[in-house]
Amino acid sequence: MTPGTLLLVAAAGLAWGIAGAWRFPRASLAATVGGAVAALGAAVWVLAAGEPWVWQTAVRVGGEPVKLQLDALSAFFLVLVAVLGGAGALYAWEYWPDAAHPHSARTGRAWWNGLLLGMALVLLSANGLQFLFAWELFTVCAYFLITRERQRPAVRAAGWLYLAASHAGTLCLFAFFALLAARTGGWDLGPLRERTDLAPLFWLALVGFGLKAGVFPLHIWLPSAHASAPSHVSAILSGVAIKMGIYGLMRFSGWLPVPAAAGWTVAALGAVSAMLGVAFALAQHDLKRLLAYHSVENIGIILLGLGFALVAAAHGDAAWGRLAFAGGLLHVWNHGLFKALLFLGAGSVLHATGTREMSRLGGLWRAMPWTAGCFTLGAAAIAGLPPLNGFVSEWLVFLGLFDATSGRGPATWAAVPAAILLAITGALALACFVKVCGVVFLGLPRTAAAAQAHESGRFMRLPMVALGAACVAIGLAPALFWPAVAHAAAAWQPAWAGLASPAPLVTLGVCHVILAVTAAVAALLLWRRVRRNGFVRAGTWDCGYAAPTARMQYTAGSFAGIITGWFAWILRPERHASLPEGPFPTAASYAEHTPETVLERVVQPAAAGVMVVAGVARRLQHGRLQAYILYVVVGLLGVALLVLAGGGR
Amino acid sequence: MMAAAEVLVRLAAWLLLAPLVPGLINKVKAWVAGRRGPPVMQLYYDLAKLWRKGVVLSTAVSPGHVAAPAVAWVALVGAALLLPVGSSGAVVAFRGDALLFVYLLALARFGTACAALDTGSAFEGMGAAREVSYAVLAEAAIITALLTLGVQSGSVSLASMLTPAAGAGSALLAAGLFAVLLAENCRVPFDDPNTHLELTMIHEVMVLDHSGPPLAVILHGAALKLLVFAVLLAEATLPIGELSPFAAAGVLAGAVVVLAVGVGLVESLLARFAFRRVPLLLTTAFLLCLFALLAAWKGGAR
Repeated sequence: MTPGTLLLVAAAGLAWGIAGAWRFPRASLAATVGGAVAALGAAVWVLAAGEPWVWQTAVRVGGEPVKLQLDALSAFFLVLVAVLGGAGALYAWEYWPDAAHPHSARTGRAWWNGLLLGMALVLLSANGLQFLFAWELFTVCAYFLITRERQRPAVRAAGWLYLAASHAGTLCLFAFFALLAARTGGWDLGPLRERTDLAPLFWLALVGFGLKAGVFPLHIWLPSAHASAPSHVSAILSGVAIKMGIYGLMRFSGWLPVPAAAGWTVAALGAVSAMLGVAFALAQHDLKRLLAYHSVENIGIILLGLGFALVAAAHGDAAWGRLAFAGGLLHVWNHGLFKALLFLGAGSVLHATGTREMSRLGGLWRAMPWTAGCFTLGAAAIAGLPPLNGFVSEWLVFLGLFDATSGRGPATWAAVPAAILLAITGALALACFVKVCGVVFLGLPRTAAAAQAHESGRFMRLPMVALGAACVAIGLAPALFWPAVAHAAAAWQPAWAGLASPAPLVTLGVCHVILAVTAAVAALLLWRRVRRNGFVRAGTWDCGYAAPTARMQYTAGSFAGIITGWFAWILRPERHASLPEGPFPTAASYAEHTPETVLERVVQPAAAGVMVVAGVARRLQHGRLQAYILYVVVGLLGVALLVLAGGGR
Repeated sequence: MMAAAEVLVRLAAWLLLAPLVPGLINKVKAWVAGRRGPPVMQLYYDLAKLWRKGVVLSTAVSPGHVAAPAVAWVALVGAALLLPVGSSGAVVAFRGDALLFVYLLALARFGTACAALDTGSAFEGMGAAREVSYAVLAEAAIITALLTLGVQSGSVSLASMLTPAAGAGSALLAAGLFAVLLAENCRVPFDDPNTHLELTMIHEVMVLDHSGPPLAVILHGAALKLLVFAVLLAEATLPIGELSPFAAAGVLAGAVVVLAVGVGLVESLLARFAFRRVPLLLTTAFLLCLFALLAAWKGGAR
């Protein structure tokens, strides 16, 4: 079977997934998963061969002949669409069942398949107009998936913000593609690297795709949308949908020339996103909001790689740029895998306890050992710990930055702060995920809901285990996945074709395997030693507390307190405290909430300003005919004066 | 890569020599205070005793409570094996192993902090929070130090980064790394390994509920980490790798002893800092490493 056949099968599967969503739920699920597998096959085919697949017909859509193209770069992203699309569909079967959500589960399946179809078409389109159609299709499908629980006002608000932000981005993309078509004389997309007059268009693409990717400070829609959506939707939003923004940036920075400042800007945006994303994440109490802010962080790491790759490409010094690009690109996969795993884990927690509030959880490992294990694995991966996949991609970016430092060019000045910021980001992410694992899964249950949690069933566990296995596989055998990265990098910069694997990737894999095996053996031996010496169970000693209660445990807020204190200048936490006073204090309370600073301090005031101006303008419209006639007369007079003053030119 | 026999010898050396360093420090402290102090080998006796003892496990803990110390210990041993010893290179050296070194230390931190939160104790949560928070600044300093060595040597592999001295900024780098050594190994003025006042501790408070063999593994790991940092500091600032093997081993051993004495003196003569001043001190360490980086850069050595 060729990629074309496989893609046809995938399209048929998704189409049947939509058609059967209402009447034939089982067949619909099977078709979605089958379609995802077929799409995965097509993507792997192209990635393995490195040869693009092109298909052109005379059929016209929007007045343009349909042209589909799957090269290594788009296939790289298609892998993610297929894997997470299939995993999420399986998870939803149990997480959002027809029995509990008779209407929204059925329509949800249809929108899910629409979303996958839309994203696949974005990746396949080689025509600007059809790219926009597909872009809008997946944006709108994602909106309907986010607002599955429309009856809740918070969900409606999140959906509205997502729609508004997405369309602000789409507006920039309209301008981008229209200007591109106007200057090139056609909607066809393809490499135009020699047309240097097209370079300024990059800024439009950066805003449009950056909004979708959730780059700081354009991430305002991201936290509430990810938190409000059902968890399998959060997983695909965070794992794949925001990566479409990254795809757009990579695609068009590869095909079109970019301005000289592009690389520096992207790298700076990446560094800022990485650092502030994780700072905001640390301050969150809502598990899914926290994970959403980590998407901002990881997008930052990806952009850091892309930015330095652009700098390297512009300066003809490709050696370290390749490493940085490879790291950023591999991080696209890695982040997709472990972030989807974490969102699915968070979904299982929500499903079992009914709350996303971390301070109401605790001790869940007893009831949900599978979820706890998978989540901890994902946490270690996202914190960039060896021997997992997150470390491999961050290591590649680091290598690029270190090599840039010893290059002693202008890039050195940027690479030093970038490397330091990346290290700080890694340490902050570790702090954040120690907090999440500790507060949610370890210790004692803080509420009755947490104490009565239950493990999720097979359909929810299987996707988590599969995604965890993928994280381990990339971590233990990174060299195996290198050809895919190399082919995608060559599709981005043809000059980089035949990119040899940086030799240590094999050695790193061997080190990782040794580390994993030794750690497992050591843990087993230690456990056997403990069993042989004999152990007794007793309450937590805690330096002699007679009756420690679950309420005395460290909470998420207190754990992150030191670090959020350092970042108070941007986090601006709101505190509501009634302190205990007097010798016999009455009930005291303390609550802390970290708002979305950019949204509440910048966007909302600006929006309020627009509303004030609009309110003033509205006074012109009042329904009095005399005044309207006056407007016409004044208008005509103005035009006449303009013509006269212009001297009749 | 080396022969298996040599790897084993080196592994044994790391594992067997590590508990000596805390013993030396304690001897120095006792000497300054005019006491006789515990024998230098005390930690060996303690480890042997703990390894044979039974265990009290909290009713709150998960199996991870026992697994995490083992994982952390393996990570620290891995970090030790990535370091070159004297002039005979590292067990395994490749481009970018310096970053693996940093992240192995992070893996150990992840393990210990999670095991601490596992007990559901407020004190241990407090210690874990402090550990992971201050590590942010310490990690920035270490990466800056590695960037300095990278600029100096034009390499990203510890074996070649640590061979020459750090050049112009050696003293700055030594001061910065020494502060990081004190912070990462819970030494005065950041932490006090002897205190039993839980509220003031970072590292020690995380292991309050460990006992028996897991505690032995944690204590041995801590000693190993101290030795790793001492060797890193010595090799970063002195051109040990350029000496003949015997001279290199001698100088390295001497440097580690000097560092142990230095830590002991600092601990005898300084009081522990208030917690709000800890970030300030770590930021100073980071800045020292940054200045060392600038010095290395402008020094132009390659």
